[in-house]
Amino acid sequence: MKKGFALLETIIVITFVTVSLLLLYGTFTSMIDNSRKNLLYDDAANVYKMYFLKEYLELNQLDQYMNRNIVSLSCDDFQFASCSSIMDDFQIDHLYLVKYGLKDYDESTYSSSFNRYITSLSNKEGYDYILVGEFLVDGEYQYASIGVMH
Amino acid sequence: MNKNGFTILELLISIALISVVLLLLLRVMMQLEVINHDTSYASDDEIARTELIQNIETDFLDLHLNGLTINRNGEETVITFMMDEEKELVVSSKEVIYDNEVYPLKSTNASYDLCLEYKYQNLENDYYLVMFTIPVLIDGVNTTSNDDLTFTYLGLKNEFTSYPVSYAC
Repeated sequence: MKKGFALLETIIVITFVTVSLLLLYGTFTSMIDNSRKNLLYDDAANVYKMYFLKEYLELNQLDQYMNRNIVSLSCDDFQFASCSSIMDDFQIDHLYLVKYGLKDYDESTYSSSFNRYITSLSNKEGYDYILVGEFLVDGEYQYASIGVMH
Repeated sequence: MNKNGFTILELLISIALISVVLLLLLRVMMQLEVINHDTSYASDDEIARTELIQNIETDFLDLHLNGLTINRNGEETVITFMMDEEKELVVSSKEVIYDNEVYPLKSTNASYDLCLEYKYQNLENDYYLVMFTIPVLIDGVNTTSNDDLTFTYLGLKNEFTSYPVSYAC
């Protein structure tokens, strides 16, 4: 009669434990990814910055750029001198005007973080476009957006 | 093979395998610790931060912010907002009180910096932009601006508009 574990039994148990731990690790990392996404997307302070920026850009002919699926906007597009300083104060690195509900576009033109943000949008409201701000905060890209009507 | 228990070879192989698994586990735990330290801010505090920003910005818009004053009273910084209804934001190191509602910091290593960052800027066509930030310190250091309380208002000037041009702590 056997009085202890055989090597084979021990190896099988260790394999099971390893697989369980790997599964646990996978679950943990996906949870952490989601929570990091919550930190980087639509932060309350950034959403209000986008709101005020949208209000101000609307006074400066924002609607004339609503003619393509994605328009990358810069201060050269607007005729007011304080644009650059507002962008700096808001820590906005890039500004995009994106057709509402857009799913199919040439993703290779844009950064992977921007593409991930666009696919994460719920598109439950009814707007014509969304103004997307790409914020560069502490060396990390954050995103926030606000709906725009034509 | 000896069927009455482990041979020394079986024991050595088992210990080696267990060591490898434990090393992998240790690496995972260390990664989790690094991620946790990066965010280093309890989710309760993150929720309270979002709620506070939303409440104050909603008041700015609904009650028409038209000016503010910033005063340092000992261990508190008091910001008075001139709106249709005057409201105060009182900042102390472990809590913020706005409109008689207390928002305490629950993270033990976090505290508010009583020295605000403030900026006022005149824009074209009589518009202005005002921004102020209450930095959040983790163990006494402002490691990331993700936790800071940042407020923004962009408005049109009128005869009653009154903001400090600058603020030095």
